Amino acid sequence: MIADFAIWMSRTGPSQTIQKILWIIPTIQTIHILAIAIVLSSAAMLELRIMGWTGTRTTMSETAQRYIPFVWGGLIVLALSGSILVIGEPERELTSIAFQIKMGLLLLAIAMTAAFQIMVRCGVDYWSADGARPLGAKLLGLLTLLTWFAIAVAGRWIAYVDLDKVTL
Amino acid sequence: MQPILDWLENLALSRFIVDTPLAFPVIECVHVLAITLVVGSIVIVDLRLLGIASSRRPVTELAAEILPWTWGLFCLALLSGGMMFASNAGTYFFNTAFRFKMLCLALAGLNMLAFHLFTYRSVRNWDKDVPTVPAAKAAGALSLSFWIGVVLFGRWIGFTIHN
Repeated sequence: MIADFAIWMSRTGPSQTIQKILWIIPTIQTIHILAIAIVLSSAAMLELRIMGWTGTRTTMSETAQRYIPFVWGGLIVLALSGSILVIGEPERELTSIAFQIKMGLLLLAIAMTAAFQIMVRCGVDYWSADGARPLGAKLLGLLTLLTWFAIAVAGRWIAYVDLDKVTL
Repeated sequence: MQPILDWLENLALSRFIVDTPLAFPVIECVHVLAITLVVGSIVIVDLRLLGIASSRRPVTELAAEILPWTWGLFCLALLSGGMMFASNAGTYFFNTAFRFKMLCLALAGLNMLAFHLFTYRSVRNWDKDVPTVPAAKAAGALSLSFWIGVVLFGRWIGFTIHN
């Protein structure tokens, strides 16, 4: 069913246009990678702060205010650029196991980031106090960061169609 | 140059990368992760220099917090990139996109060097509570441009080299 949908999409006007104009895919991929750079780094600053590895001279809520909007903003750019890539190469993306895993992990990362944002909003005073960072929050931070890394790796893996079938 | 390129391609490591189907994709994933974190962390500092984000934090504090990570990750990007280059040195060396990528990287390095040698000396005067000086803003803008170039031409290598 997904394969049929992908074939149908590849025959639509917008998809045909993207396929014909050769510079569109690499240009959109470049924008996609730059947005990944912003999301991964913002998430890293946030999660490393939760784990107490860096940024401890600012409060948790200050760190969250600085970096979380860049995670959401970056994700909007990623959704838009990613959609163009899917429309341009629907079969390569939609039927790939790497792509499907990537989308699943993305939902997880979004849920964990939102959960974290709510935690920060609920307890500014608690987070502002140094030292008292609960283990659960640290684990959430570590898991979120690793999930973002896995998303980027799964995204790159879409390029390896043949290995996709052998290894995954 | 050709003897060096041949020597690189015949290293045991290069042969291993070529002969092992999983090696190149795994190294490339490490490279992509490292380079996105390098670029993203530099963007954080550049945006501070431009006065766009983190404006309430001292420049020196932000730089001290972020740049050690940037350097560590840059070493990882260099190492993984070097391995990919060695595995197919003769092709990469003559690839136009690769050369432009290296040019952007060199320009980013020179911009950073000039910033640290001249502009950063007066950082005490614009570290916090006041707008950064125009030279610092220029360094931030140039840095953003060169690193966008690195990513752009880096991605273009993949579309111009076919193994």
